[in-house]
Amino acid sequence: MSKTINLTLKVWRQKGPEDKGHFETYEAKDISTDLSFLEMLDLVNEKITLEGKDPIAFDNDCREGICGMCGAMVNGIAHGPQKATTLCQLHMRHFEDGEIVVIEPWRARPFKIIKDLVVDRSPFDKIIQSGGYISVNTGSAPEANTIPVPAQKAELAMDAAACIGCGACVAACPNASAMLFVGAKISHLALLPQGRPEAAKRALSMLRKMDELGFGNCSNETECEAVCPKEISITNIARFNREYLKASFGSSEK
Amino acid sequence: MELDSRVPGGPLETKWERHCFELKLVSPANKRKFQIIVVGTGLAGASASATLAELGYNVKVFCIQDSPRRAHSIAAQGGINAAKNYAGDGDSIWRLFYDTIKGGDFRAREANVYRLAQISNNIIDQCVAQGVPFAREYGGLLANRSFGGAQVSRTFYARGQTGQQLLLGAYSAMMRQVSAGRIKVFPRREMLDLVVINGRARGVVTRNLITGAMESHAAHAVILATGGYGNAYYLSTNGMNSNVSAIWKAYKKGAFFANPSFVQIHPTCIPVHGTYQSKLTLMSESLRNDGRVWVPKKPGDKRPPEQIPEDERDYYLERKYPSFGNLVPRDVASRNAKEQCDAGKGVGPTGYAVYLDLRDAIQRDGEEVIRKKYGNLFQMYERITGENPYKTPMMIYPAVHYVMGGLWVDYDLMSTIAGLFVLGEANFSDHGANRLGASALMQGLADGYFIIPYTIGGYLAGTELPAVSEDHPAFLDSQKQAQETTRKLLSINGKRTVNDFHRELGHILWEYCGMTRNDEGMRKAKELIPELREQFWQNVIVPGSSEDFNQSLEKAGRVADFLEFAELLVEDALSRRESCGCHFNEAFQTKDHEALRNDEIGCYVAAWSYNGPGGKPSLHKEPLVFENVELVTRSYK
Amino acid sequence: MNWFIRAFSSSIGKKQIMAVTGLAFCLFVTFHLLGNLTVYAGRDSFLSYVKHLHSWQWLVTAAEWILLFFAVLHISIGLLLFFENLRARPVRYAVKKSAGGRTIGSATEPYTGLLILGFIVVHLLKFRFVDKTGTNDFVILSHTFSHWGWVLFYIVGVIIVAVHISHGLWSGFQTLGVNHPKYMPFIRRFGTVLSFVIGAGFASIPVLIIFTR
Repeated sequence: MSKTINLTLKVWRQKGPEDKGHFETYEAKDISTDLSFLEMLDLVNEKITLEGKDPIAFDNDCREGICGMCGAMVNGIAHGPQKATTLCQLHMRHFEDGEIVVIEPWRARPFKIIKDLVVDRSPFDKIIQSGGYISVNTGSAPEANTIPVPAQKAELAMDAAACIGCGACVAACPNASAMLFVGAKISHLALLPQGRPEAAKRALSMLRKMDELGFGNCSNETECEAVCPKEISITNIARFNREYLKASFGSSEK
Repeated sequence: MELDSRVPGGPLETKWERHCFELKLVSPANKRKFQIIVVGTGLAGASASATLAELGYNVKVFCIQDSPRRAHSIAAQGGINAAKNYAGDGDSIWRLFYDTIKGGDFRAREANVYRLAQISNNIIDQCVAQGVPFAREYGGLLANRSFGGAQVSRTFYARGQTGQQLLLGAYSAMMRQVSAGRIKVFPRREMLDLVVINGRARGVVTRNLITGAMESHAAHAVILATGGYGNAYYLSTNGMNSNVSAIWKAYKKGAFFANPSFVQIHPTCIPVHGTYQSKLTLMSESLRNDGRVWVPKKPGDKRPPEQIPEDERDYYLERKYPSFGNLVPRDVASRNAKEQCDAGKGVGPTGYAVYLDLRDAIQRDGEEVIRKKYGNLFQMYERITGENPYKTPMMIYPAVHYVMGGLWVDYDLMSTIAGLFVLGEANFSDHGANRLGASALMQGLADGYFIIPYTIGGYLAGTELPAVSEDHPAFLDSQKQAQETTRKLLSINGKRTVNDFHRELGHILWEYCGMTRNDEGMRKAKELIPELREQFWQNVIVPGSSEDFNQSLEKAGRVADFLEFAELLVEDALSRRESCGCHFNEAFQTKDHEALRNDEIGCYVAAWSYNGPGGKPSLHKEPLVFENVELVTRSYK
Repeated sequence: MNWFIRAFSSSIGKKQIMAVTGLAFCLFVTFHLLGNLTVYAGRDSFLSYVKHLHSWQWLVTAAEWILLFFAVLHISIGLLLFFENLRARPVRYAVKKSAGGRTIGSATEPYTGLLILGFIVVHLLKFRFVDKTGTNDFVILSHTFSHWGWVLFYIVGVIIVAVHISHGLWSGFQTLGVNHPKYMPFIRRFGTVLSFVIGAGFASIPVLIIFTR
């Protein structure tokens, strides 16, 4: 049942990419435990606004855990303490009365901070642009049931395709590596017969783009898997490694 | 002004094919000379921009999110319809057409809906080729499920994330064109105005949401695919950033707004819990396949659901609609839930909820099967409510979900402004007064992949379009006006937050122009809304400046537009002297409290035109002519 | 050959070199341990093992050069990766907690690696690059481990090696793409067991010697 709690928030405030940034403390009073984390921030922001100050900037849109827009480090964990949950779906019943909550933006060299908790995740788009697609023009597709896909493969592809591109994997990775994000996309397409023709080229070009953008190297710490709101498995990283080996040594792609 | 829907002649089945043939073509070499602007990157916008770029046009794409992949189409759960008849259960293009037009309570254009059903099959082909991981049977072929408002299994799905998968497919096609250099994406941009020169849409003015800079973009044609305005109601299942602003600005520039009062209230959402709730979450209606909706028979029965014996439960949908049962269309399911709650039989702490119970399905198929089908939905429910739906029935209540209304468009999807095309939820075209489940994805992709690429070519090839530059006075005027609005918003420095006004507006609309409407209430809303708008412009507080990242300012601009738009919504509802689909006016109902259509006077599209600030909008009626279907009373009994 | 260098200069390529060289090290350490365990059978068995091993002198030399080459690759690329990783997050978190993925092995991998380098240098100076005229390996062994200091040094050393392997082994397989729902659980368990066996096995030798001297 719902009750109310009081929290102390320590929130990272940064005016823009060039600003140094600092922590600011806010009291969040009488927070219903039925509220979501972002609704709690809304409430704090209402108060800040009425005081004539600048409210905390944070990205969000769908608030049902699918658009991938929200996300912040809550007490050192990406998307907060509840497993398999985006920040917008994290509810205040998971917090104790009187708790101190530290909120920081995703931190990684390729993710520049735009303001407060808002970061620039356009590097993810750039990675997809480098090959995260199947080249098929509209209208040229064959009848949908022409190529059967084993249900199990389709399920595995779906597991990988569930990625919402939120960036929590990069944020949680001790090395700020994007291997889970890229591995998921590579896996999704490599598992389907439709994606095989371009698999080798895709693996090479997406990896090169990822490296070029300045993400770190995967050291299999599996923190990404632990925070992923869609529970995407590191087997997708292994598949990416495998696809990369195949592409490097078994294909004519350079 | 006479509304010309430009529906081609000839038999229904060949209209589209003939029309495609008759449309003028742009030669491949000439396509690259054209610049097209697409605003919005949901299913409609993303699929349109990808396809247009594939054809060789230069495309500029704008979205308010940080990446085009986040548009709210991503949240669609259940599936996408197509008339493949893979299930061999008697489906056909004709049946999909008929179900859709009947589901819309005969308030849509026959030709548009038939074309939609025809194209539905191509969409599935296209998406499969793109790598959309649709659910499959063990043999490897595509699986289908049934959905509300239909008696055949024609819905293709990717778990409970169909919208996401379809959008990622369209997004990746778009990203491919970005790397080919034919699309330029402008993320974190808000369209502030449509620029019309010599009666033709020639560009947009946008605000860069990071730097606050005003930007002008000229083009030969503009496509709006900016989604629906459900957020006018404050609480809805829409994304927080979904808004009416882009189409509202186009309306003010001369585009007609059609059927604004046709707002779909989705029956299966997680109930409201408190004042500070920011949005409502949908539970896919696919749950109604296996779930049974019930309330206690006795009003005010506060026992927990497990303690209510079988014979004291009222499975009211099954009782009232034996042939469709729990799978009645959304409007019917929603109104019935409201009716039960208004009769005091509602459950949960607020009394505004009914049970959606999967107990029988779990007993029949086992928890594993149910988990596989709906696992992620159950998880979401548990996260939000803290209750385990495997053990205790879910509580649901209707919520604003989708709008059938939108900018008026002709058969070519062009608005009353030449060169302004409107796709997806932003237009009014295919769903009439009520949309069937799994049809929104179908329409968005049909518009973007398979309709606009043909029709825009016809426009560009057949139109003289002199070059315009971005320093044309029309752009400068739009910029100046937008800057003035911003300045005003920032300078009021009042005592109430933007959210506070938005919440109040939502309350007015929900109370007086929501699931059921009556003339008295609507008249009251017509008084309250202008008052609220006035207060807004006197007493709102918008902190920060216009020269940096300012979410309060973004929101303020959108709410300001909602406050104007809401009046039109109510005006439209009041002007329609019948009930149909989602529009339920208590004055027009059958003895069984079903919507009572009046086909004598009601077979029209209400298209509203703008008459300047303070002016009363004018109503133009596009008559709806039905040559191929008989207007029957919808019955799901 | 351009493609070859390109293949190994990407992030995955570099890690795959780490994986191959690391797994080779695991293999070497396992055989090294098996050989050393002959000490349990007494002085003569141990010396006979040493003698047999060195009767394949060309093999030993080849193996030594390969190991050296691998070690240089593993350490230099490891350092490169380490610094690249540091650079990938220029501003650190004020509060950072594990969400349950990290292990002691994974979190300390670069540091245990560097400690192992130091340990191996000392170890080689002590046992490999010494004048063995007029003495033999058993004498050096029992002499060294007659001091508690050396016993402790070696115990700590091999524990560090074990910690390194506890993450390194399965991580190597993962990097080479060997992650299968049927086999990975086994590989992970095997990694844990192997690191334990290696730690305990090697540590037992100085303990055995100091107590049976």
